[in-house]
Amino acid sequence: MSAAPAAADTHCPYCALQCAMSLTVSPSGPTPVTVAGRAFPTNRGGLCKKGWTSAELLGSAGRVLQPLVRRPDGGFDEASWDAALDLIADRLRDSRARFGADSVGVFGGGGLTNEKAYQLGKFARLALGTSRIDYNGRFCMSSAAAAGNRAFGADRGLPFPVEDLDAATTILLLGSNVAATMPPFIAHLAGARAAGGLIVCDPRRSSTARLTEDGAGIHLQPAPGTDLILLLGLTHIVITEGLADIGYLESRTTGFDAVRRSANVWWPERVQAATGVPVAQLRAVARRLADGRGSYILTGRGVEQHVDGTDTATAAINLALVLGLVGTGRSGYGTLTGQGNGQGGREHGQKCDQLPGYRKITDPSARAHVAGVWGVDAAVIPGPGVPAVELLAELGRAGGVRCLLVHGSNVVVSAPDVSAVRAGLEALDLLVVCDFFLSETALLADVVLPVTQWAEEEGTMTSLEGRVLRRQRALDAPAGVRSELWIMAELARRLDAPSTYSTVPSEVFDELARASAGGIADYSGLSHALLDTGAAAYWPFAAGTRGTPRLFLDGFAFPDRRARLIAVYPRINADAPAQVGGVLTLITGRLLEHYQSGAQTRRVPELINARPEATVQIHPATAARLGIVDGDIASISNARGTVEAMAEVTINIRHDTVFLPFHYAGSQCANLLTEAAVDPVSAMPEFKRTVVTVAALRAVPAVVAGAAAAAAGTGAVIEESEYV
Amino acid sequence: MSRPTRIVLIGYGPVGARFVEGLVAPVRAGSIELTVVGAETHTAYNRVLLADYAVGRADRARLDLTDTAAAVEAGVRIRLGESAVAIDRDRQSVRLDSCDTLPYDRLVFATGARANLPSLVGLEAARRDRRSRPGAAAALDRGPEALPHGVVALRDLADADTVLEAVTAGRRIVVLGAGVLGMEIALAASERGASVVAVFHGDIPMGRQLDSGGGRALRRAAHDAGVTMAPHSRAESLQFRHREDGEEHFDALVCADGKLIEGDLLLLSCGVGARTELAEQSGLRATSGILVDEQLRSWDDPDIFAIGDCAHVASRSTALPDGRVPGGPAGLIGPGWRQADWLASRLAAEVSPAEVATLSPGDRPLVVMLKAEGIDVVAGGNVSADPWDESSALETTLWADPARGTYAKMVTRDGVLEGFVAVGLPRAGAELTLLFERGGELPEDRSTLLRLDASDAGAAATADSHAPDATVCWCNGVSVQHILTAAEEGATTVEEVGACTRAGTGCGGCKGRIAELLAQSAAPVATR
Repeated sequence: MSAAPAAADTHCPYCALQCAMSLTVSPSGPTPVTVAGRAFPTNRGGLCKKGWTSAELLGSAGRVLQPLVRRPDGGFDEASWDAALDLIADRLRDSRARFGADSVGVFGGGGLTNEKAYQLGKFARLALGTSRIDYNGRFCMSSAAAAGNRAFGADRGLPFPVEDLDAATTILLLGSNVAATMPPFIAHLAGARAAGGLIVCDPRRSSTARLTEDGAGIHLQPAPGTDLILLLGLTHIVITEGLADIGYLESRTTGFDAVRRSANVWWPERVQAATGVPVAQLRAVARRLADGRGSYILTGRGVEQHVDGTDTATAAINLALVLGLVGTGRSGYGTLTGQGNGQGGREHGQKCDQLPGYRKITDPSARAHVAGVWGVDAAVIPGPGVPAVELLAELGRAGGVRCLLVHGSNVVVSAPDVSAVRAGLEALDLLVVCDFFLSETALLADVVLPVTQWAEEEGTMTSLEGRVLRRQRALDAPAGVRSELWIMAELARRLDAPSTYSTVPSEVFDELARASAGGIADYSGLSHALLDTGAAAYWPFAAGTRGTPRLFLDGFAFPDRRARLIAVYPRINADAPAQVGGVLTLITGRLLEHYQSGAQTRRVPELINARPEATVQIHPATAARLGIVDGDIASISNARGTVEAMAEVTINIRHDTVFLPFHYAGSQCANLLTEAAVDPVSAMPEFKRTVVTVAALRAVPAVVAGAAAAAAGTGAVIEESEYV
Repeated sequence: MSRPTRIVLIGYGPVGARFVEGLVAPVRAGSIELTVVGAETHTAYNRVLLADYAVGRADRARLDLTDTAAAVEAGVRIRLGESAVAIDRDRQSVRLDSCDTLPYDRLVFATGARANLPSLVGLEAARRDRRSRPGAAAALDRGPEALPHGVVALRDLADADTVLEAVTAGRRIVVLGAGVLGMEIALAASERGASVVAVFHGDIPMGRQLDSGGGRALRRAAHDAGVTMAPHSRAESLQFRHREDGEEHFDALVCADGKLIEGDLLLLSCGVGARTELAEQSGLRATSGILVDEQLRSWDDPDIFAIGDCAHVASRSTALPDGRVPGGPAGLIGPGWRQADWLASRLAAEVSPAEVATLSPGDRPLVVMLKAEGIDVVAGGNVSADPWDESSALETTLWADPARGTYAKMVTRDGVLEGFVAVGLPRAGAELTLLFERGGELPEDRSTLLRLDASDAGAAATADSHAPDATVCWCNGVSVQHILTAAEEGATTVEEVGACTRAGTGCGGCKGRIAELLAQSAAPVATR
């Protein structure tokens, strides 16, 4: 590997906005590199608190710097790479021989570069021969992806460049708190706000909802889990008031009749009764969206992470299609991808049913093409595996996965019903975790493999707008740390795997490009060299073309070029318990200061000091009824578990709802409470509508409670352990 | 494989259509054979929106509910324009007016309801004879003669077309009956340019749903919306005039007190009555509807069911000694659809076992909401409680502001709503509906709900954007205090503040406010 340059133009390690930043090596500075914002259409030089502090993790005291192997007494020993990899290879080979290839599983992540995500899919199918691979994107993007695929024939989060939003006068943002999750994005809402047209739909008056104040727009505050009905109601009004774009529907779509009928039964008063959103607001929103001055509908996890998430995203797409917004250049529909490479991560083979280029693993021609690139017989590529929640559920079970490799994911914090997940991980014969830190999942591992951070590696990421971006190396990794590409190559060699596993990112990318050729997400015209010229590369980018900033302008990705309107129907939830006593609905989400499971951000002093522990948001009237005072410790519990968190009494939430951030571990992990129920189409778990009982824990004085939280590993800066 | 279960459905209105949709899959799979008998010649349409159609606010397409062609394609046999005239429960067959007979294993009534005609002098000939037998279903809904010219009961598309003509021409319409449907059509017709009088017996409109305060609030709102409200009016007879073609035409309604209410069209909105004759003739008990248990099964025949407006869901144990059974059909579409969904899944489960949700379709509380633009009225449950009755276990919360058109009443037991009324309070009304339907406990401070409609609802908790802890930069979580501190420590430009606090270094949207704060903090220095 060549020496790292002294500076690099790269992108932020965190979310899918992938803000451009410049790193300058500063050997004498407080962090190994200095971070500066860099001019780019998405972030225009700005960064949020997470981006500014991202370099703190490079030299973090808690970094794992050598492979760790579990001792029989439970502690970790440092090991050489050869010893660790030999051990893993032996155990994997043994498991495969005794229990079959599917006894080995792989759990990937939406933060991995395209190169790693691609290689991981190939490694699983060829080196391990397993069908058991899926990834944490199943928890965030799968419903929107499924909805996009069935409506448009392709799933690119934003099928247009982010700066197209600048010219819009109306933006309907459903279940997305961008002001906290990707703050620089809100600059693109300025035009809509100035026109009074920012419409935010959220049970909380989130920081994003507050951007609608002072005449900047409308905040809709429906009861959790009623978004689908809300969208059917808006569609109903659009059709009834003659606001539908009939010409568009006739020339560019199919299926309107069924959607019209399905919306007919959701007249505004019925929708009000089901959602809590007044008729007048519904009408105002529908009319505003239809005013023809540039309207966008954007969805986020708030409406997607449900057992009916695919249908809800479909309803949002239907509304956009009925209004004639999609593929017009000045209006549109999009879903806001969350994880850094949440887009690329779902295109190149980490999903259980997928091969590179967004190909279906069940499609014989897709298998033949990819097998050709890999130089293997298509028959050796396993068939489809099982999606994440199902994969986690079969850990350690008879006939299930016995050995699991985890890459870029912290499942004991981020998966639903984490107590069950923990039990599954503990029942494994072998758990291998690749991470920078001893994350909660790594702490359960038999082997921890330390891997490179963003500033120490290169590759590509695909942003929320489907633009392929270069991640550039500024720094050499610490001596004992390796790239996952190297780890896969070494394991593949030990396992006598067919095909080749390059450790050079540009070579892996070239292979990815060939494997994706002709697929939906076609990268075949791209290379690191081309990207290094600064080309704005939006997929599909087939060889010989110049990419596609705006998808669907001249048709959708079906043979007849028409979008599919698919009628969806709300499921009536008759079994919901009455909300008496402390029974409330729990919703979860992110804070400005933290990212995902918090494995990284809880290790940044500035971020953890600003938000040291989980607080539960509760409405003052509800809090008063339950005898909870601001600052009290409250328990939030159900049959699956109990979370204890400090109460934040605030009018910024519905009176029947409580909110917990999901970044915390131990007794503050929100996913102790969530249920492993999944959407039937996408297998996305239900994260945003959990029945809980909230009670005051008066007996616990605040000081003691804080100490208890710290003891449980949730409070204050994570003190990195020696390897006990 | 055993032969498919034969199901016959009588009635193809909105509830019947919903039931059919629930069975399309097993019909396609061949495990159920479903035959539908519908007296009307057109496919099911949404009667709930008929008033909108009748005033020209909705076209026919908006009333579409169901994909009949898809059901037929799946194998459902739909026989429109035919009537069931007799049921042989021993042989398990239905005889049609065409003399065909349809054998069944399960029979479902979804015959719905017909409009009641009041006993007014001048309408006698149009009233149906209660003793008439179901020889031809169409005849059952009518008297010996049609309604006089200029008189209509809004029940089907043809009626709606008559109303639409009057509304379009801006005529004077007399609406008799001020229940929810009467008020909806009165308000809608008035909004669309007709001149409307609403005539009703009591003191208030929607007397079945509203308490006095809520009713008075609606009365006033309707008056302000341009509808002439005629309370305490007991209509007795119709007065006719002779048109040029010699036909008699409605001219005025004559009330018991001698009052004459003139108009071009009399729109009767006096409630509906369930179509139970066929069931009763077959020996099935009925009161104001066909009596069915919580499983929607007839009290008298385990293979016969009833859903929707023709069904009176009641447990057998609720029958009073004198044979009467309290309650009756809901008269609302929501419960009817729930019943249709549930029964379809139950019958489907008989042929391929699946889990069926436990549901007691009868005891769900009913919420009634007035569909009218600009007038928000919603009510549910028992709203008659007296706020000052100390002997009652019920608590009542009241809010009334007649001058501004708002009224709310919440009747609770142990904090859970037993009934409520909300007028002119859209957000509160919507939340109370959710709380009522879900059995949720009200906030201890009931005014929290009223405040959802307050003019300052949605305002920041700390309205003072200059308070020290007010956030200036959302991207980096920087407060006013942070910026003032930076200024004190020597930062004089937005960029310098950004360099030490990161404020303004995200989306940049707060740079203006940072400049303002800098100017303020600098000002005292300059004047010193």
